[in-house]
Amino acid sequence: MKLGYAILTAGLLVGGALSTNALAGETLFSNYVFAVGPAGQNGALWAFSRDGSYSGLTLLNFNVSSKGAVVTEATAQAQVETDTLSAARYEIFDDDFAERRRIPAVYAGSKLGLLLPMFSLDENGRQSQPAGYYSVRDLRNIIENPLDEPVDEDTLQKQPMMYATSGFAYDSTAKRLWVARGALGVMVHDMSGKKNVDTTFVLNLKTNKLEVPKKNAELDLENNPEIFDVRLHPETGDLWLATAKGLWVKSSGGLKNVSKNLKDSRVTGLWMGGSPLQIIAETNYKKKDNVVGGLWRIYGEKNKDFVKVDFLDTAGKVQKKDIYDEADYTVGNVAFIGKTAYVLVHAIGGSISGYLKLDSLGARAWEKDDDGKLQWLYGYETGATDRKAVIMSMCAFPLSKNRTGLAIATYGNGVSVSADSGATWSVVLNRAKLSNNLGSIRMVPSVIVSPGEESLVSYKLDKESKVTIEVFSYDMRKVRTIVKDAVRNADASRSSNPKEDYWDGRDDHGKDCTMGVYYIRVKDNHGHIGWGKAMTLGGNFR
Amino acid sequence: MIRLKNLVVTTLAVCSLAGSAMAIGFTKKSELGGFDGFVERMGGGVRELGRGNTGTADTATMPGAFWNPALLGFRENIGYTLNVEKRDLDRLGGAFGIEGKVGKRMGVGFAVLYRGDRDFKIIDEDDQTVSTSKPFFSMFYLGFAYRATRQDAFGLSLSMSYDNLDIADSRYFEGIEVEESFRSPVTINLGWTRQWNAKWSSSVVIRNLSFSKNLSAKWTKNPSRDNTLNSTEGVRPKVLQIGLGYRSKIMGKPVYAWMEALDYQVADTLLAFDPQLHVWTGRVGFECEATPNATFRVGMDDLNWMLGAGYKFEIRVGKRRFPIELNYAFLYETSAGIWSPFSLGLRGYIP
Repeated sequence: MKLGYAILTAGLLVGGALSTNALAGETLFSNYVFAVGPAGQNGALWAFSRDGSYSGLTLLNFNVSSKGAVVTEATAQAQVETDTLSAARYEIFDDDFAERRRIPAVYAGSKLGLLLPMFSLDENGRQSQPAGYYSVRDLRNIIENPLDEPVDEDTLQKQPMMYATSGFAYDSTAKRLWVARGALGVMVHDMSGKKNVDTTFVLNLKTNKLEVPKKNAELDLENNPEIFDVRLHPETGDLWLATAKGLWVKSSGGLKNVSKNLKDSRVTGLWMGGSPLQIIAETNYKKKDNVVGGLWRIYGEKNKDFVKVDFLDTAGKVQKKDIYDEADYTVGNVAFIGKTAYVLVHAIGGSISGYLKLDSLGARAWEKDDDGKLQWLYGYETGATDRKAVIMSMCAFPLSKNRTGLAIATYGNGVSVSADSGATWSVVLNRAKLSNNLGSIRMVPSVIVSPGEESLVSYKLDKESKVTIEVFSYDMRKVRTIVKDAVRNADASRSSNPKEDYWDGRDDHGKDCTMGVYYIRVKDNHGHIGWGKAMTLGGNFR
Repeated sequence: MIRLKNLVVTTLAVCSLAGSAMAIGFTKKSELGGFDGFVERMGGGVRELGRGNTGTADTATMPGAFWNPALLGFRENIGYTLNVEKRDLDRLGGAFGIEGKVGKRMGVGFAVLYRGDRDFKIIDEDDQTVSTSKPFFSMFYLGFAYRATRQDAFGLSLSMSYDNLDIADSRYFEGIEVEESFRSPVTINLGWTRQWNAKWSSSVVIRNLSFSKNLSAKWTKNPSRDNTLNSTEGVRPKVLQIGLGYRSKIMGKPVYAWMEALDYQVADTLLAFDPQLHVWTGRVGFECEATPNATFRVGMDDLNWMLGAGYKFEIRVGKRRFPIELNYAFLYETSAGIWSPFSLGLRGYIP
């Protein structure tokens, strides 16, 4: 049995091996990418990043080589116009509620482009005040669309995220954009006439209608539940609303709650796509101090109502416990390719992230580890990223005429793109130019704030070499051997193996190194030596 | 007689090498390099550097407040030393000391040791160099000594570190109130020197004692004023340093042999008897006065090799003569394979 797992793991590692050779000299606005989304053309992808204070977008253009590898053709980037605004809100990792821990990124045709939420600074100087949405048509037209907040300033300051923009749906036939706005209900941006008109509706549970709220009306969440997400059914064109009190559908026949199983559930997200059509819903609520989440689905004609997604072991047996028993997850986004749904999830705080692969039966584990624990989440371990970084967003996008690509956004490690439904991935991220033959060594980042954080040893070889990487203290005592005689390939941009060639601020015995400057020596078997530097802010004496 | 000298020299060398070998063999629970206190481990004074960083058993060693506070008890004049070391990888170091006699039997001295990096590039996660910093680490010593007999002196020094990482202005930490400078609490070092006779001298130095629990020199550092970053703990290992000096002549030329054995207790305990919590290392050095004014040195500190030279001269101001010694050291840091040919020091006395 163990041999089987070993073979499977080896297969995943080989199959999921990152191909970075083709991607030299990429430039993202920042490697801290919060959202990715289609750009409307084959091979084009938007990536939204924030580097500490500034936010911006990168337009990436890919090609697929004859061997099936993804090649970056071009990149261009632009900063958002108002630098106090951003689509990435403060506390996006830590909020209790799932709908606030993701960034909806929806492509809404050439006229509106990619839609992203927009946040402004609050009184503490943090981007946590809902301010409308971005409409990214191209790099010169990153349009900021402020939205009216029909609530008083005090309420906005106290609980701003109650009114956050958390979902978009564009009706290209009626030329209407639907925007989910939490406690404010749903807004429709009507572009069918000469003048664009914005109207806000709340869901009235007494009348089962979408109604325009009265002026200065007080919030009544019992009768007007929050609306967290909106979708247009790809086949019927009906408007689906994910609300704090179930799933509602607006069709020609009126408005009705369509799911008995989710009738009173706090439905925080909704995704539709694939063939056969899958509709995936996320529920999330707070029970005392605990947050309870769930993943539900309708798969084609198989289910008449939403059922909880089954988690299967490697043999296909349904398990009683799933990932939600261990942590609270947020669905970042769902990408559909054919029969498979790729459900990106990340836990509160960003400690765990990865995507589930949902086939017709449910989420099947790809490995059972030595402790008997089933692994459902694809990510770093399966080669989707080459460094341990939180996966923030995921999308499917047209790579070429006949091929759908997958893209994931990571917090600190750029974007990964796959042309073969996640079997292999290519990483796109910012890399400084390096000299050949270990001529320049860069530690990325060069300051290790807490031991355990990884500083990548970045170097370049012009031919395959055996590399030894060691860390020395200021007084040139050897503190750590990172790799010894490890085979590394020549590469146009960087020869480092990010899975191994990093320093975590610890010595050979796993102890935190004290605050100071450390020197990293890289040697190859051809006589070349290069030095890099890293600073640790120290750890704790253990 | 020559046989005896050879025997002594061989014994010292073997002891030192054995110490180094033991250091390698027993460093199992921690690496000394990852521990606090590298400024102290690297020594201070180019004269001493040239002979393997040996100095605790030599009454002429300066700065005494750092090497062995008991040495201050042997001062007759005001002594001073100024040293600069430029090592590869942009490392710049130095030491300054001033010391003198107080009363008939006492001495006092002050020393500063400095180590810094003049070109540390702060690279962010986007692989962009956002700034260049010049972090430095320094130690201050204030030493007192009492000469109990003509042969014996006892000393005590109080030491404190001041480190500055020079990162607060970097864009890398934008939005965080970074604290970049850190001072340690005062620690205590004790020393004893005995000049047995014209040939032999010995020393015992105990470093880094504190009034805290376990007498450990331990402190907490918080790198951010708004507690955005995790705080960290620093512990400086307790050190037992035993030195031996031997003076003789070979072919009429004065020669000196120095040896030191050091034990670093790499644990926050009062006394640890587990050998794996100790790092043993050794230093050995030899000097030869080829001419009355010129001295050549060779030494080994742990696995690092040193060569040194010194030249003595006098400056006359009126009727007064000021003896000065100019020292040079060449260093090879063996583990890292780095040569450092730029170490210069000046020392002298004001009679």
